[in-house]
Amino acid sequence: MTTLTPPPPLTAAARKRLVEERKRRSLAWRVIHALGSLQLALVLLATITIAIGAATFYESAVSTKFAQAHFYKAPWFIAWLGLLCVNLFCVTLTRWPWQKKHTGFIVTHYGIILLLIGAVVGSKMGFEGNVTLHTDKPPVNRITTSHSVLQVESPSDGAVYLIPFDAETAQPSEKRPRILDIPGSSTKLVATGFSHNLLESESLESSAAPEAGPGAAIRFASATAAQDLSMAFALNAGEGSERDFFGLARIAFLPELPARETRMANESQMIFARFAPVVQGDGGSTGVSFSLSSDGQKVTATAPDGSSATYLRSEITDDPIQVGGATATLREYWPDFQIIDGRPATISPLPNNPAILVTVTGPAQAGTTGQPLLEMAPLPRGTGIRYQLSRDGIIYASGEGEPAGAIPLEWADWTAEVTTAMPRAAAVTTVSPGPESVEGVPGFFAQLRAPDGTAGPGKWIRSGSIETLALDLTVVRLGYGLEVRPVPFQIALKSFEVPRLEGTETPANFIATVEFTETATGATKGGVARMNHPASWPGDLFANLTGINYKFSQAEWNPQDLGETTLQVLYDPGWLLKWVGSLAICVGIFIMFYIRPKRDPRETATS
Amino acid sequence: MIPIPSFPRHAVGLLAAALLLSASIPAGAVDTTALDPIPIQEGGRKKPYLVFANEALLALTGKTSLTVEGKKMTASQLVTSIWMEPAGWDAVPLILVNNLEVKKQAGFDETQKFFSHNELASSPGFLAALQRAEAARKAARDGRLTGIDKQVADIGLRLGEYEGLRNGSLFRIVPNPDGETAPWMTLDPADPLFQNLKTAFTSGDSAAFTTAAEALRTALAAQAPQFQPPAWRISLENAYQHFHPFRLAWIVYLAAGIVLAVTSLRGRAAGYTIGWVLAGLGFALQVSGLVARILIAGRPPVTNMYESIIWVAFGTVLFALIFEAIFRSRYFLLGAIPVAVVSLILADSQPTALDSSIQPLVPVLQSNFWLSTHVTTITLSYAAFALALGVGHIALGKVILGKKPSPALYNYIYRTLQVGVLLLAVGTILGGVWANYSWGRFWDWDPKETWALAALLAYLFLLHGRLAGRWGGFGLAVGAILAFQTIIMAWYGVNFVLGVGLHSYGFGSGGFGYALGFVILEVAFTAVAFVRHRSLTRHSGPPNQSPTSAPELVS
Repeated sequence: MTTLTPPPPLTAAARKRLVEERKRRSLAWRVIHALGSLQLALVLLATITIAIGAATFYESAVSTKFAQAHFYKAPWFIAWLGLLCVNLFCVTLTRWPWQKKHTGFIVTHYGIILLLIGAVVGSKMGFEGNVTLHTDKPPVNRITTSHSVLQVESPSDGAVYLIPFDAETAQPSEKRPRILDIPGSSTKLVATGFSHNLLESESLESSAAPEAGPGAAIRFASATAAQDLSMAFALNAGEGSERDFFGLARIAFLPELPARETRMANESQMIFARFAPVVQGDGGSTGVSFSLSSDGQKVTATAPDGSSATYLRSEITDDPIQVGGATATLREYWPDFQIIDGRPATISPLPNNPAILVTVTGPAQAGTTGQPLLEMAPLPRGTGIRYQLSRDGIIYASGEGEPAGAIPLEWADWTAEVTTAMPRAAAVTTVSPGPESVEGVPGFFAQLRAPDGTAGPGKWIRSGSIETLALDLTVVRLGYGLEVRPVPFQIALKSFEVPRLEGTETPANFIATVEFTETATGATKGGVARMNHPASWPGDLFANLTGINYKFSQAEWNPQDLGETTLQVLYDPGWLLKWVGSLAICVGIFIMFYIRPKRDPRETATS
Repeated sequence: MIPIPSFPRHAVGLLAAALLLSASIPAGAVDTTALDPIPIQEGGRKKPYLVFANEALLALTGKTSLTVEGKKMTASQLVTSIWMEPAGWDAVPLILVNNLEVKKQAGFDETQKFFSHNELASSPGFLAALQRAEAARKAARDGRLTGIDKQVADIGLRLGEYEGLRNGSLFRIVPNPDGETAPWMTLDPADPLFQNLKTAFTSGDSAAFTTAAEALRTALAAQAPQFQPPAWRISLENAYQHFHPFRLAWIVYLAAGIVLAVTSLRGRAAGYTIGWVLAGLGFALQVSGLVARILIAGRPPVTNMYESIIWVAFGTVLFALIFEAIFRSRYFLLGAIPVAVVSLILADSQPTALDSSIQPLVPVLQSNFWLSTHVTTITLSYAAFALALGVGHIALGKVILGKKPSPALYNYIYRTLQVGVLLLAVGTILGGVWANYSWGRFWDWDPKETWALAALLAYLFLLHGRLAGRWGGFGLAVGAILAFQTIIMAWYGVNFVLGVGLHSYGFGSGGFGYALGFVILEVAFTAVAFVRHRSLTRHSGPPNQSPTSAPELVS
């Protein structure tokens, strides 16, 4: 009878002989031993340590985005990590045939490889992004990722292509242009400039086009809104235009100012010496007010412009007076006013509660609450403009403005000034880098270039806008900005709470209660995202374990709007590899350092 | 509810006894100790009046007691005096202004350290600087200030703290029955309880003041009792304030270190035992301090720089005691004690840079599970590396003195580094897992993450170089000191020098000169040892490639 015994373990000397032998016999083994060498490991460890240390200083001095682009996510760094993986893998092969004592060593090194593969899977197949939710807005099914992309509409088939492109981290310049292929076309997109504060400005250009009409440019400025901008207007084929002004007002540029007739308002005012007046009327407000002296003898009338006059009551009873542009008539007087049987009456001749009734007829005054409207029309020969400012259809100011003339807006602290006026003009919108002090939008300068070298006109392409570039007959539409990804469900913010530390306004937590609705099935599921506890979809055990899961973590809040929260979104299919790798590293190091396999007695016996 | 363990009450008894011995009131001042146990709501938690007073005075002056007009006043006396008799305090120089540039801008006497409210509030130069700082805060995207603006804003905060004391608005001692987090109220000045207190204080009658304070305490304790902090916690926190367990710990550690060092020369056995006992006593004191902080705050004591320094000192001694129990060498304790003493003295002596007050946590840290796993593991790895640093110094010290360290000594460094590497790897990975939960990603090269990894790689480089036979025990000792500089960077540098990234709750300022000095000294020390080692090995034969009992090479 024979018993199966495992082969005796290799002694150190025998292993050395074996390694020498296979290196001599095979090129593959020579390569594996070279790639798995400790010398290479030392070089990799030292260079990676120095590189990432330097990167943190670079980040502190420049910015996180640049450190990511030039170090951590740069191709050379990824390649270096790839080489580290190769080194780790080969070093485990050099120990072949494996023995029990190699367990910790192999588990650790494969753990690191798994972790790095997990990172690659996560960054290639997963994404990070964020989504801002409001309690009073409809559910959202799109996530803004952190990747900048260029959306290009192909000139040949009209299909939209997504090209990863971040102009900020690898800034194009005249010296180092960035050239992109346009799908379905031999034309190329050439980016030759970058700005982080592009601003839109409008100007007036003289035009010989047959439809060009008179125009004017107006400069608006506000200190509190920190704005200073120009708007240009021109009649086009005799047609005017109307536009919104920050939701604050509307501005129209028209061939002629529309006539706004003066409307007459009628009011009856009950004036008390000791109480607030009671005013009734139709057709708007006359803007005229009265007061009555406590003895009921004197009446003071105040016109809309603030001027006032005082009369003896007895002298003006039933005798109309002029107050500003309005006519007022004192109809009745009660020395001791009281309502008796539903009708005004006096209960004594003593002036205990004097009251008068006045009727007023006059031009209606503009209120202060309606949205103002600025209407402008060119002066004959285009040397300036005529304007009228109104609220609720009632004009409160009007006049003429020539270049350097001011328009009295009365919109908060906004001022307006006519800067140019032309008889035949066109309004032009240009995008260009603004001064450093003004916050603008990032973007790049680009043009189309044909294979023969001819180039089309260049243009600044702003982040978040769609622009068109042309070269001869080729027209390409471009959109630049953060990639937006659809997700297979909708997320709605049901409530958002910010509990505070006791007795203070300092937040103690951020709690967003959300609801997920699967688009395909309509199935709903609740979730709560608070600090250290994300909400997730689908969120079951399998999803959480594998990372095939959309995870929503609390990221930002808006102290001004407690119905708004921003959640960081993570979809990471590499998660399983990452955490298995992590576990392997920890367990492997522990085994290596603290668990000694029992020495096989034959190992020493045979040596 | 978790029942309150019996330890605190016991500890309170012990600590209270020590407190009775130390209490002494200067003649002529009113004894305000009866106010000490009254709970007050401030800074997002309820704390004893004594702690409030200490923190308030520290915030104003950077000190816990102050001599005013020749009279030394405790924090409690001084703060109570501002509360009871606010008149006159505006002219007393109380507010610390120690930045030279600020004094220049304000046109102040540059040799003066403390300034009165009146001096600051009436200085056009200072007020202009304050406005510039405020403008800078608005302009900064993250609202964080640096340099002179930060210094000026800090003084502005001190001014605000003083005004809050003077107008009484900070003394929120009246419980609010509206809820657990509702703001507590101040005493109505017309309240007879307050009037009695004030009368007793102004007439300088300590006995009457104590009676009035007791009456006030009883009356307040009866209000909204469900929202009052437990009495044991208030007593424990006051005892903790008086007892200074960490200060006592370093004194005892220092004694242990001196005994061990002196008896290394002779009387080895007895000296070793005494050193053990003293180190154990110091350790027990430190543990009692940590337990007190845990019970007061209800979380692990690893949430700011002060706490992490205390924790690293604790870990270093902990590992030294464990290794001593195994190896019975004195090198671990001799290596650990200087680290612990220096750390604890630093924590004890820099109250403005290292804030020892117990603060509620920022939301992102509010997870006891992750705090007690990730943060404690990482900081314990710092402790293990600090121990390796200490033992490394002993080895290199021997080399400089011309002695050849034993292979065993080098092996001790290796053993300690193993502990550090395991804990740092585990801690860094736990950090990734936490970040995956809290921030929604596993790893994103945040500076704190990056430096933790850089430190781990530096130590791995050290161990792999040893495996490759590039260096032996001496190289390991040199490496234990040089690689610790990456720990300094991960621990201090990221928060105090780089100042970017997501671990912003730990950011602070100051001490850069000292940290840089430390790094330069360490590099110089290893350089001297290296030169000395070269000359020693030249005289005594070929270089010693592997002087230790070789750690298990996985070949």
